[in-house]
Amino acid sequence: MASIESYVDHLVQVILYDGRIIVGKLKGYDPRTNLILADSVEREYSTDQGVEMIPLGLYMIKGDNVALVAELDEEKDSTIDYTEVKAEPLGEIHH
Amino acid sequence: MDDAANSGISEPLDLVKLSLGERVFIKLRGDRTVTGVLHAYDAHMNVVLSQVEETIHIVDVTEDGNPLPPRIEKRNLEMLFVRGDGVILISPTQQ
Amino acid sequence: MNIKIQDSTHSTRYIDIYITQRTFDASQLFIMLIFSFFKTLTDQVITVELKNDLSITGTLKSVDQFLNIRLDGISVEDPERHPHMLAVKNCFIRGSVVRYVRMAARSVDTTLLEDATRREAKEAKK
Repeated sequence: MASIESYVDHLVQVILYDGRIIVGKLKGYDPRTNLILADSVEREYSTDQGVEMIPLGLYMIKGDNVALVAELDEEKDSTIDYTEVKAEPLGEIHH
Repeated sequence: MDDAANSGISEPLDLVKLSLGERVFIKLRGDRTVTGVLHAYDAHMNVVLSQVEETIHIVDVTEDGNPLPPRIEKRNLEMLFVRGDGVILISPTQQ
Repeated sequence: MNIKIQDSTHSTRYIDIYITQRTFDASQLFIMLIFSFFKTLTDQVITVELKNDLSITGTLKSVDQFLNIRLDGISVEDPERHPHMLAVKNCFIRGSVVRYVRMAARSVDTTLLEDATRREAKEAKK
């Protein structure tokens, strides 16, 4: 598997099929890309206000919903003022 | 199966095989079409094309929801992999 | 399933990805071609266009049988529209969300790729 092993215990940003973005610490995964995220937070983008951070806690995300898993540069992430970032939410993945 | 039988057309993908090295037209989901020279394909209809021209057919809607006349966006790409799940049809291009 | 790609010369790589143990069926074999093709693109810069219109450029670090893709040193095509990836170093893309992968023409030996495709198609019919 084009593995995400190196992401374990790192801060990751998961993009779901419906376009939602969830950030958390990757605690585990399996070959179906089922993921366990600790201290996860949804980042809700919108065009009329900054990014809304919605705490979700410990999540198990079913692999079928996962579009992308990205490793966040924690240092860089902490320098970004997300209250000022405005953007369209990501689109859904449709077939 | 002997070689003679292998060389003829006996299943749909054989038509695709005959197009290797030739320009093909591919209709994709999402109102997209591509033409390009076919270099590889597989059983999922994943394909690799070069000298690609992609056409996207877009229908914009006005603020009150009325469709505007369709417009076309074109893009040229030198080498492209197209994932098979988006493929609707493959055709040898009419010269 | 052990697939060994000989790294000797670029030209032999498509063909040498032949599977020594025939434990799975031919249709399975025919899907290995594209996987092998992506393996030859390892360490090249590619652009992956997702089905949600997000385009991500980066260096291909690995690929698997599902065509899941691992990209390093990434950037998005339109950061104004997609600031969502600002703090991202590298990412793992689910194969199923890929619409296109764009690459440089010089990364691909088209003649060998066509030969490999013919060969795999023929194998698959046996």
